[in-house]
Amino acid sequence: MPTDLTLAELSALADVPTRTIRYYLAQGLVPGPGREGPGTRYPVSALHRLRLIRQLQREHLPLAEIRKRLGALSDEEIEALAEEASPGPPADTALEYVRRVLAGPSGPLAGPLPEPLAEAAPVTPMVPDMPSGPSLLRRASEPAPSPSPSAVSTPPAPVPPERSQWERIVLEPDVELHVRRPLSRIANKRVERLVAFARELLEEDHP
Amino acid sequence: MTAPFDGLSVRTDRTLIRPTYHSGRYVVAEITGPPAPAARRRPPASIAFVLDRSGSMSGEKIRLVKEAVRQGIDRLAPDDRFAVVVYDDAIDVVAGSTLATTDARRRALEALSSIDARNTTNLAEGWLRGAEQVAAHPAVEGVDRVLLLTDGLANVGITDPVELERHARELRARGVSTSTFGVGQDFDERLLVAMADAGGGAFRYIANAGQIPDYIAGEVGEVLEVTARDVSLVITSPDRVAVEPVTPYPVETRSGRTVVRIGDLVADQAVRVVLRLRFPLGETGREVGAGFELVGRDGALGQAARTIAWTYAPNSANEVQPRDVAVDRVVARTYADRVLREVVRWNREGDYERARRELGAVAKRIRGYAGADPELRAIVHELEREAEAWSHERLEDDRKLAYASAHYSMKMRSMEGMAVRRPRS
Repeated sequence: MPTDLTLAELSALADVPTRTIRYYLAQGLVPGPGREGPGTRYPVSALHRLRLIRQLQREHLPLAEIRKRLGALSDEEIEALAEEASPGPPADTALEYVRRVLAGPSGPLAGPLPEPLAEAAPVTPMVPDMPSGPSLLRRASEPAPSPSPSAVSTPPAPVPPERSQWERIVLEPDVELHVRRPLSRIANKRVERLVAFARELLEEDHP
Repeated sequence: MTAPFDGLSVRTDRTLIRPTYHSGRYVVAEITGPPAPAARRRPPASIAFVLDRSGSMSGEKIRLVKEAVRQGIDRLAPDDRFAVVVYDDAIDVVAGSTLATTDARRRALEALSSIDARNTTNLAEGWLRGAEQVAAHPAVEGVDRVLLLTDGLANVGITDPVELERHARELRARGVSTSTFGVGQDFDERLLVAMADAGGGAFRYIANAGQIPDYIAGEVGEVLEVTARDVSLVITSPDRVAVEPVTPYPVETRSGRTVVRIGDLVADQAVRVVLRLRFPLGETGREVGAGFELVGRDGALGQAARTIAWTYAPNSANEVQPRDVAVDRVVARTYADRVLREVVRWNREGDYERARRELGAVAKRIRGYAGADPELRAIVHELEREAEAWSHERLEDDRKLAYASAHYSMKMRSMEGMAVRRPRS
């Protein structure tokens, strides 16, 4: 393994498009050398970072959460976490996991909603759930459910603000469409037609 | 002396690929659950029944649910464990996880007998409390599973399907699997399928309440016949080969390694996974290979990895290469089932135009390689008929049935949602 890599090498090894790597560089998620040009080389720690970011995104963590976690880790720790070999079994037991979810999200696994790579969506702090409290995707207009009598009593969570989300639709491995949700019904239909057409256009020969 | 267990075979549709074009190829992996161990007694299981007692379950339904629990518990041995949880917007642990002694069963059924149907549906918390019961008393070598039954929508508590799916996945990763049962017309089939798929269990559609006891008993029977827990199909390929399952199983991908999560397998269970591979550009004459193996919670299953190699060849050679029609048929059937499952949602939303269009598109693609093959042509005609049938409003129970049928077909389950077994030769 070379000790430093070009952007193209980084992209191939981490399986992350170069465009996305540049975005991460701009966001400070991957430390860059400062002046980026065609010959710029990146340390192998950047590769580990990218792999870990990708892993965490697959687990539906939003970028803000990923940034927070990366900030708390050293390069060695990042490398250890981003290992190619499949990560070991989860550190906690099923019982610990269930109790954590029932009590409200405080652990590293509960809480944040899936959030696709957002180019422009504001990242809002997540509001903790209560044991039988509102789902974070519940629309603000729905009435809040009454607390379950068997739930642990906690102060009711504030209703989360309305926010838009960007959905990332993969048309083919190197081409994506980003759609800000929610869309009107008509716009939705148009997007669907666009996606169907685009996929047909981009698809190579196969049955 | 029995032959060593050999539960995986793989084949591809075509072995030549194009050098200057990203070729797509298919692999069909046929998987078989290990046989029941001959002499060794099966390890005890730990099960939780999580039952909907919301208002809509009143009358016959709640009575049948109680009967279902009775039949389910009846199948257990005294060293198996069970718990019973009922939920509406409150959660009642009717029976905490207990060994299935005669006395414990009697007490549980007595406690259950006074339960009646009440309010709204906190499906999430009911399910999690059931999982808590199982997790607090896990079967060490056997199966830990939650059986979640509902007739309606999760309308209180955590209702986000993505979040529930994530919890099902995390629980499976920690050894607790989930199977789901949807009764009647009002439940959300996509939620229940997502939870069962992520949870490593099975989804069952119960069209009418009278069938509840049979389905629950059937699931308990299967839990007790699991011979491989938390099975995954692992595909190892060079970094730039993209691998994705066409059969809808949860998948995790890392560079060069794709893990398709299948779930628990019962003795001799037949499962089939269709994979689509997409190749990078390459040089004529060079080969690209992929390795396939089965891994379960209790270690590797069976023999060493299977491999398939594809060779870059000129376009002219690609055009005339033979196709494995058996693979084509399975691939076509899977795409047909996928769209037949999706069409239910478009029909429900009144998007008849999309239903017709999507069914037509899949039919057209299959026709493109069907040639004179009667099976492939039959699938094309079926999709063309369905394109008509789904382009106007349908009854909800038709939709539920169609959804379940397509789902079972892809997951190789019978029309009763039971695992299909491969006959032992």
